[in-house]
Amino acid sequence: MRILVVEDEPDLLASLAQALREEGYAVDTAANGDDGLFNAEGTDYDAIVLDVMLPGMDGWEILKRLRKTKKTPVLMLTARDQTRDRVKGLDTGADDYVVKPFDLEEVFARLRAIIRRSANKTTNVIEIGDVIIDTAARQVLFQRKPVELTAREYSLVEFMALHRGEVVTRTQLYEHLFDENDSTLSNLLDVHVSNVRKKLGAEFIATRRGHGYCIE
Amino acid sequence: MKIFNSIKWRLQIWYGLILVAVLAGFGFTAYQLESNSQFRRIDNELQRRIGVLKNALHHPLPRRGQNAGRPPFDGPPRDQNFDEPPQEGPPPDPFSGDGPPEHNARRPLKFTLPEQDIHFFDVSDPHNFYFIIDSSREGPELAHSTNAPPRPQERIAIRSEPVNSVSPRLLEPPSLKFSNYHARREILDILPSGEWMRVGCFITPELSELRSIAIFLTLVGGFILLVGLAGGWWLVSRSLHPITRISATAVKISAGDLSQRINVAEAESELGQLAAVLNSTFARLETAFAQQKQFASDAAHELRTPVTVILTQTQMALARERDAASYKQTIEACQRAAQRMRRLIESLLELARFDAGQEVLKRMDFDFGKTVSDSVELVQTLAEEKSVKIISEASPLEISGDAVRLAQVVTNLLTNAIQYNRPGGEVRVELDSENGLAVLKISDTGQGIAPDDLSRVFERFYRADQSRTGAGNAGLGLAICKAIVEAHGGTLEVASELQRGTTFTVRLSLAS
Repeated sequence: MRILVVEDEPDLLASLAQALREEGYAVDTAANGDDGLFNAEGTDYDAIVLDVMLPGMDGWEILKRLRKTKKTPVLMLTARDQTRDRVKGLDTGADDYVVKPFDLEEVFARLRAIIRRSANKTTNVIEIGDVIIDTAARQVLFQRKPVELTAREYSLVEFMALHRGEVVTRTQLYEHLFDENDSTLSNLLDVHVSNVRKKLGAEFIATRRGHGYCIE
Repeated sequence: MKIFNSIKWRLQIWYGLILVAVLAGFGFTAYQLESNSQFRRIDNELQRRIGVLKNALHHPLPRRGQNAGRPPFDGPPRDQNFDEPPQEGPPPDPFSGDGPPEHNARRPLKFTLPEQDIHFFDVSDPHNFYFIIDSSREGPELAHSTNAPPRPQERIAIRSEPVNSVSPRLLEPPSLKFSNYHARREILDILPSGEWMRVGCFITPELSELRSIAIFLTLVGGFILLVGLAGGWWLVSRSLHPITRISATAVKISAGDLSQRINVAEAESELGQLAAVLNSTFARLETAFAQQKQFASDAAHELRTPVTVILTQTQMALARERDAASYKQTIEACQRAAQRMRRLIESLLELARFDAGQEVLKRMDFDFGKTVSDSVELVQTLAEEKSVKIISEASPLEISGDAVRLAQVVTNLLTNAIQYNRPGGEVRVELDSENGLAVLKISDTGQGIAPDDLSRVFERFYRADQSRTGAGNAGLGLAICKAIVEAHGGTLEVASELQRGTTFTVRLSLAS
């Protein structure tokens, strides 16, 4: 899961990005509106955390322009909690909003919710054969027993599960599992896939040669 | 009681009382006039008959021929009365000792009414005139008409009045006395010869007529009173209606809806003017409330970001075990956030003190030129960082004021001029005296401020950029500068040209 955080207050940006990384997301950051829009238009993020008050282009403007090309779920951070502002945000195309000051837990929960909704899932629990994925607890059960997965491996499983039945290309996986700071060594993805197969059964992730991977 | 607290009811009660008093006065006067005229007529009749009787008593035969040809009620009674006196001269004084009346006293006591005068005492007349002649006050009766009432005690006068109180005929001798009995009116004449002559009549028709007049006057008065009260109620309601509207609006406003206004239909009337004054007060209140609300909301908003930083930093740090460097980072971020809040709170308090007029300026005479060059030195580092050149022309200039506060203003304006400048730009500082004022101009070569924003730069929390261009800049600096300068009785003005730069001008009075 790859997320873009656009926030101009450096301390807030740093802590948000770090907290999200620790939650297992790949996180890109932008400190102003123009960079934010550039990133958002150029990459398929799973979600965008967008501050309203930004130097340069403000959050509303970014949202308006982004919606012309992309349906990426957007969580707005606003300092104004008046109904007028919330209505404006939701009408402009925001998927949800959090009012400052917020708790990190709330941001995480709302992010999970908008990502889930964008994948047309209604619950946090995804069942695929013997594998049960709890996206809220970030836990995977295989044959009713908990399985230890690294954050990257979990992200791979969750992303594949949310796109169940689709062929997911390697490029897509790179885009969603690694952020701009990760060194994208070509075989890193293969290592993760093989580790997941060892833990959840070899047939859990099928390889479509020349296309990518798929969970049936 | 509530009813007496209501202006409407009080007006109505006063109005009603006045109306009752006026109507009662009119009614009473009308009744009195009518009653007087009735009695005067009766009295004339009675006097006429006294005259007839006197004539008959003193000149029984000679009068007969003279009066024979006259119709009984020819001419007004007065004339007839005046016919008689020339025979005797002016009415005799009843108490005079001698003269013809002395002889009359010893006349024969028997008396009969001459035939031609009988009609004066016709029984068929509704007034039923009668007469009684006594020889003296208690003496035996000489004569009486057949219809004369018996002589009970009641003949003693219940009410006697001097004749001139009802009658204009002041020439009547004082012996003439009018008296009212139950339903009769009598005239008493004590003749010089000592006889007591009474002529009376029944005034039942007059009394019943007066009673109907009284009833009629009461009815008309009552009707006018009712109409008047109804009209008064309508008038009072109508004139108080604007007050009702005003109070209804005031109730809505006190309930919190400050956008309410009184609908001023008649702007010219006293109430219309009151309404207009109230409306303008409401408008000012609304503006002040809106500003206060905006200020509080802006202040809260400015506090939200640092609080968010502290919350996310600490929550993230506490989520798992970390190394010392990472904790240090978190603590440093929290410190920055706290300092930002402290600056904001200090600025807010400062503004609040200026607003409340509690800020005490330590006024003294000092060299403003020195303050300016000190401030320029203070911001030199920042200017170098931003590659901005400061050109200062500050000559010594004594002014009176709070040196620390004014230095704060100069530093703040200089910082703004540097921060909103373009790299390689310049800041020009000029201090001069002009028309007895110290004039400080600080110009930059920055972006300039759009005309729409220019009027708002001194507003609290206003930033032309609408976003934070630097942590700690909450948009209060210029508001504080303006408050300080104005507390000194000076002015702070701004002029700007897009793409050319902005000039702030401070005017302060020179030391006396």
